[in-house]
Amino acid sequence: MAIEFSKGVVVDELKNVTIKIGEVVEEEVEWAPMGPTPFPSIVTLRDWSFFLFKRYKPSYAPFCDMCCICTMGKCDLSGNKRGACGIDLLAQTSRVLALTAAIGTACHTGHARHLLHDIEHMTGKKLSEIPVDLGPEIAEVAPLTQLITGIKPKTLADLEKALKYVEEQIVQVLSSIHTGQEGSYLDYENKVLHLGMMDALGKEIADISQICAFGLPKGESNQPLIEIGMGVVDRKKAVILVIGHHAPPAFNIADYIQQNKLEDEVEICGICCTAHDTSRYWPKAKIVGSLGRQLKAVRAGIADVIVIDEQCIRADILYHSKKLGIPLICTNEKAMHALPDMSHEDPRKIIRYLLEGAPGVVILDPLKVGEVAVEVALAKRKKRGGEFKPVLNEEQFISYVKSCTQCGTCTLACPQGIRIGESMKAAEKGDRSLLEKRWDICIACGRCEQVCPKGIPIIDVFNFAAWNRIINEKGKVRRGRGPVRDSEIRNVGSPIVLGIIPGVVALVGCSNYPNGTKDAYTIMNEFASRNYIVVTTGCMAMDAGLYKDEEGLTIYEKYKDDFDGGCVANLGSCIANSHIYGAAIKVARIFAKRNIRANYEEIADYILNRVGACGVAWGAYSQKAAAISAGVNRLGIPVVVGPHGSKYRRAYLGRPYNHEDWMVYDVRTGQKVRIEPAPQDLFVSAETIEEAIPLIAKLCIRPNDTDRGRSIKLTHYIELSLKWLGKMPDDWHLYVRTETDLPLARREELLKELESKHGWKIDWTRKKIVEGPIRPYYAGFNPTNIERLFKHGFMTL
Amino acid sequence: MKFEQPFNIANIPGPKMALVLEKGKPVAGMIKRAKRPLLIVGPDLTDAMFERVLKFVDKGVQVVATGGVIKRFIKAGYKADKIKTAVLHELANFLVDPEWKGFDGKGNYDLVLMIGSTYYYGSQVLSAIKNFAPHVRAISIDRYYHPNAAMSFGNLWRKEEEYLKLLDEILAEL
Repeated sequence: MAIEFSKGVVVDELKNVTIKIGEVVEEEVEWAPMGPTPFPSIVTLRDWSFFLFKRYKPSYAPFCDMCCICTMGKCDLSGNKRGACGIDLLAQTSRVLALTAAIGTACHTGHARHLLHDIEHMTGKKLSEIPVDLGPEIAEVAPLTQLITGIKPKTLADLEKALKYVEEQIVQVLSSIHTGQEGSYLDYENKVLHLGMMDALGKEIADISQICAFGLPKGESNQPLIEIGMGVVDRKKAVILVIGHHAPPAFNIADYIQQNKLEDEVEICGICCTAHDTSRYWPKAKIVGSLGRQLKAVRAGIADVIVIDEQCIRADILYHSKKLGIPLICTNEKAMHALPDMSHEDPRKIIRYLLEGAPGVVILDPLKVGEVAVEVALAKRKKRGGEFKPVLNEEQFISYVKSCTQCGTCTLACPQGIRIGESMKAAEKGDRSLLEKRWDICIACGRCEQVCPKGIPIIDVFNFAAWNRIINEKGKVRRGRGPVRDSEIRNVGSPIVLGIIPGVVALVGCSNYPNGTKDAYTIMNEFASRNYIVVTTGCMAMDAGLYKDEEGLTIYEKYKDDFDGGCVANLGSCIANSHIYGAAIKVARIFAKRNIRANYEEIADYILNRVGACGVAWGAYSQKAAAISAGVNRLGIPVVVGPHGSKYRRAYLGRPYNHEDWMVYDVRTGQKVRIEPAPQDLFVSAETIEEAIPLIAKLCIRPNDTDRGRSIKLTHYIELSLKWLGKMPDDWHLYVRTETDLPLARREELLKELESKHGWKIDWTRKKIVEGPIRPYYAGFNPTNIERLFKHGFMTL
Repeated sequence: MKFEQPFNIANIPGPKMALVLEKGKPVAGMIKRAKRPLLIVGPDLTDAMFERVLKFVDKGVQVVATGGVIKRFIKAGYKADKIKTAVLHELANFLVDPEWKGFDGKGNYDLVLMIGSTYYYGSQVLSAIKNFAPHVRAISIDRYYHPNAAMSFGNLWRKEEEYLKLLDEILAEL
């Protein structure tokens, strides 16, 4: 029986009644009017998705023409045939995308959930006792949470409400992937975007939670520089290598080192995002490198103890650590490698167990990891010398390169197609430069070793040849600063929207690069030097720090880490890339005074038309990266991936020649207007950085640019095309609305070209364009793609 | 019929895989019969391959440079206007659209030849054409076997002379 309490109810005379009070719902102070779409379901934002798909066609390139999921299969779907369940290849390919995005979203969301558990356990506080406080310069906390759910979180308990919602949405989408559910590729794509949005929210919950609970930086600039590279690890100390993304166990290691004053005896270093976050917690932690360095570092025997948590850990980590006699500590249920769970044992017993020669253990209590990892590392350190040397010796190296028969099997197995045999042959003749050069292009997947008929340990051979490079790999990364401050948005909101800051380039994600790690540095340097705002997270943020300019400065020493033109700001780990979406949302909130509360569609429309941002995931490999890009895309921000990204099977690509795809409503005039293809694509894979760099500049162009802003953006687009491709872009004229859009220094020359090549009419006495552009420019242009907003107006505060 | 392994050995898309071309002459025949052939040129080219590519241009085959290889054409003295440039991913999206009017406004292409594309990237584009562009036939004249093409040369990446001979056979017939 439920009793409803309201004013005037008398309970004095109740006997033998137990009253249980569930959740007490406090009425929230009305901080902003509730928007139209709090806690959207799969269908809520479907119209927005379908608008995007009309302009940016889901363009499929199947990685596999078959479906192998149910027992009616395998089904051959090539040529868009239908399989036994009735699904065609278009829908099947987007279904695989939905599965990919679900895995990625679940990963970030599972991480967020795990963080909340660890926070309660490690701090001894309830979530409701931990305030969401991001410092005096951030009033707009958790913009994604506000935008998607309508909650403005005050404590981590509020974030948990949003997290429960994300978890439900993942289940709903995942269920739609079962045989006999969705049949339309467009609806699967809508689900992908829905998951992308959930992924963004999950990441924001995760990062804000760890910032608030563990005291990570709250968006402050001028962060300390963190040492990075395989050469920065001090092997004179006991070395603990942490790998993964969920850092609380590594925080406990840092605590133990500090509490026991072992800084001079123990080194903590990391690979992948755990490394970022550990340095955000304790800046003395070092970063060995990104994902692509994992097998190289493990096989180089860099560590005395390896501690793994979750995500992007090699599935064969135990195989390699065992072979090298390095104890492995698994700290997360998601990766336990069939090792015994000793979470409830006394740490001293676990230490003894590992020192007696056990290959590894599971310790799911982060509060025990520090003591075990440090004490085992110290004991292991005593048993070895202090130098860092290759696992092979000269004789073994020569013997291996000589044993290569040039069969080519390794090249066929290599995702990069590296001519390994050719490099071995050169090394046999005394030239090791090919192996050294290709060491960095190699992503250290190890497939070559799986197929080598001679059993050559190719990774070790690469490491030996590149040893000089390895020990001298010493760079610097600015510590991940976390969110973008409201005060920064106040400074840059207007120049971004008007186009005077030519764009925000966000370099995120993994290290599956086509041609080595230096691309990360090159892209960042190119755009930061041109006054773009460059933000970065994850592996790309790490790899960029490995390189130095002619003056010996890393990119992080050369540029400040503000969110401003001409700066490079490392925000942190992959979950910290949620603050990049957050910055775009805050431009709408702070600069344009739009209501961001549960108002997703309007804000995404605002960003698509006005915020010249472009994501770059040059080495994207993971399911998480697929989810990230879907979340970014749904918010109206295009993404450029490297050539390996084409294996995601689907792009969102515009067709500039389809005029009807590029129509917007102009709120000011009440007219429907054809716009230039800006941005032309939402998800596109480029083949080389020569191609990608001008493309990124182009994708920062927005319909709402002022003429001054467009002139700046066109200047960079043209200059970058000339620099990297040696020619003017074929489509530059599409972005010219008026003569004042043209780059000032080349105005006359370009007017001539518009007249001679494109048949435009020019009034040469006034040097004005008379006829030719897709549309004229006028300063009051106020575009929207949403009919509802066109008719009823925007929600402003 | 000759069988071949994909250059990335696990890149087996399904039952529909490219026929292996062992001669150049039939390719020349296909080019001559095509109403609108297009040669896609990517950046993974040896000097000897690039020399042959230039001969295709000289023989009037429409070439589109992708992945930044346009710089090489310009360096070789070819005007940027003559060689089209494109991002291959974007180009694939145009090619699968039967209504696309091509680079010259005269219509989509009925025969696409591919050479020099980064292997795995080119493979994805060929997959898009194979599965969703029945109006386009895609032939790989690269030095790798491309299963997603309709027809492809075999893996000749270590047999340069043999491979160049095939390209020369095509050129001799054009």
